[in-house]
Amino acid sequence: MTGQRSITAYAFLLFPLGILLVFTLVPTVIGLWLGFFAWDGGTDPTWVGTKNFTDLADDAKFGPALRNTLVYVAASVPPTVLIGFLLAVAAQAEWFRGRVIVRTLFFLPTILSIVAIGYVWRWLLEPDAGLLNWGLRLVGFANPPDWLNDQAWALPSIIAVSVWRGVGFCMVIYLASLATINRSLFEAAEMDGATPAQVLRHITWPQVAPTTAFLLITGVIGALQVFDIVFVMTGQAEGDATSVLNLYIYRLFTYGQLGYAAAVGVVIFAITLLATAVQLLWAGRDRSSRRAAA
Amino acid sequence: MSALRAPPLLLRALVHLIVYFGAATMLVPLAWMVLTALKSESEAALAPTWSTLLPSSPRWGNFLEAVRAADLDRFYLNSTIAAVVTTVLAVSHNALAGYAFAKLRFAGKRVLFGLTLATMMVPIQVYFIITYIVCARLGFSDNIQALVVPFLASGFGVFYMRQAMEAVPDSLIEAARIDGMREFDTFWYVARPIVWPALVSLGVFTFVFSWNNFFWPLIVVDSERSKTLPLAIADLSAGQYVDSWPVQMAAGTILIVPLIVVFLFVQRAFVRGVAGSGLKE
Repeated sequence: MTGQRSITAYAFLLFPLGILLVFTLVPTVIGLWLGFFAWDGGTDPTWVGTKNFTDLADDAKFGPALRNTLVYVAASVPPTVLIGFLLAVAAQAEWFRGRVIVRTLFFLPTILSIVAIGYVWRWLLEPDAGLLNWGLRLVGFANPPDWLNDQAWALPSIIAVSVWRGVGFCMVIYLASLATINRSLFEAAEMDGATPAQVLRHITWPQVAPTTAFLLITGVIGALQVFDIVFVMTGQAEGDATSVLNLYIYRLFTYGQLGYAAAVGVVIFAITLLATAVQLLWAGRDRSSRRAAA
Repeated sequence: MSALRAPPLLLRALVHLIVYFGAATMLVPLAWMVLTALKSESEAALAPTWSTLLPSSPRWGNFLEAVRAADLDRFYLNSTIAAVVTTVLAVSHNALAGYAFAKLRFAGKRVLFGLTLATMMVPIQVYFIITYIVCARLGFSDNIQALVVPFLASGFGVFYMRQAMEAVPDSLIEAARIDGMREFDTFWYVARPIVWPALVSLGVFTFVFSWNNFFWPLIVVDSERSKTLPLAIADLSAGQYVDSWPVQMAAGTILIVPLIVVFLFVQRAFVRGVAGSGLKE
């Protein structure tokens, strides 16, 4: 009986796990392994040991890509999560009017492809005919920058668009989380004379800590892989000002430097694991220290 | 239960003002795209003024020009076929695997589930080179199979469906088994109706993911024949089809606006699915 059910289970799993095995798991193992080879895709791969990685250390294109990726992660994820939290708190308040329409509008960019969003924003950020610079001139900035072609402004512009796109997703997740907080906590705080700011800081924010951890971890993993928005907004240019790791991998792939591209993939994987481990530890410590205090 | 005290009127007004302003910025880019699509080239190239925000006389011909410049209908068809086939098959597979992990006992369950979860952790950039080679060997290069087959199961989908299947009462499943129902029938007639909302949410997720997927199609698609909408938008953006901004924006409107209309219909299922995925620890 149990044996037969086992066979049923394997039959259920055969196709789904087969797909994961063939198209994800095995390629991952080989892909990490490939980082230690030189390969152009044609002839047999040549084992080069750690040469790819020592080359990366001296690679003038890798440094900026790594730095921009880390800047992108650090400058886009925390503001997105924080603004999403504040929006959710505002929209969830009993006195707030128009919650559904506001949520729908903020969520809209989440379903649009990032490519489409980058495309539309390129036109908004156009230096002469763009809407943003028109608005800036209206309020008194005589010479607003050429956002995407200015070395200093290109990456910040991309980060700003990413934050703009991401807040709605965080808001929706936080709204669901806020709805589960026990109301009596707020009532008790009010009776004790807490100000709204105190309630926000000492009750609401700690209560949604697991959601914040979830959004930060998934946000950082996603941001480390940033590609689409950079590709469409500035990626056609060869410059380093907005190069990111995945754009560099893509370029190496199109140049046929497959082993070297795989080595950059290994670096991204290592950073992802490291960032996730640090955040999990931090979230865990945060929780246990709060339990100890309670 | 008493109502909580509301903050002062001024603060409430300020909060409304800020939130509504933010919400409006979500629409402005789309509105600006549509307005530009209706302008003449010279009109669009000028710095905007209050009087030229709206097109002087709407040029609907820009849309015709956009359709003539690029095979927009072909790109639509490719995206639709890829997304529909992926969604139907992937949701079915993920549901089957989720049911097995939640409700069946078998050797190696923990290991297999662990491996499934592990696939969620790996960025596609780590494995796409090998997956590309696998697809080439299978004869999938530059055709629809390459856009569909690798996505017919996903770590996230299996995990999501296992969570949903956990909620199906064991007593119902035991009763079905005692009545002599085969396991697949139990899955189909007992579990499936109960987890229907989760199936719909996962379906919407999968559809949107497939529809918007960019990096992988960029790798495997070489020709106009197999191009999907995001690839077409990127090429438009690089000025491949037309130079004129209004015609580019007309093409963008044709590519983007229908998805917004669909979104307004399915947003409840989508929002519910998103919210649910964030709450599970």
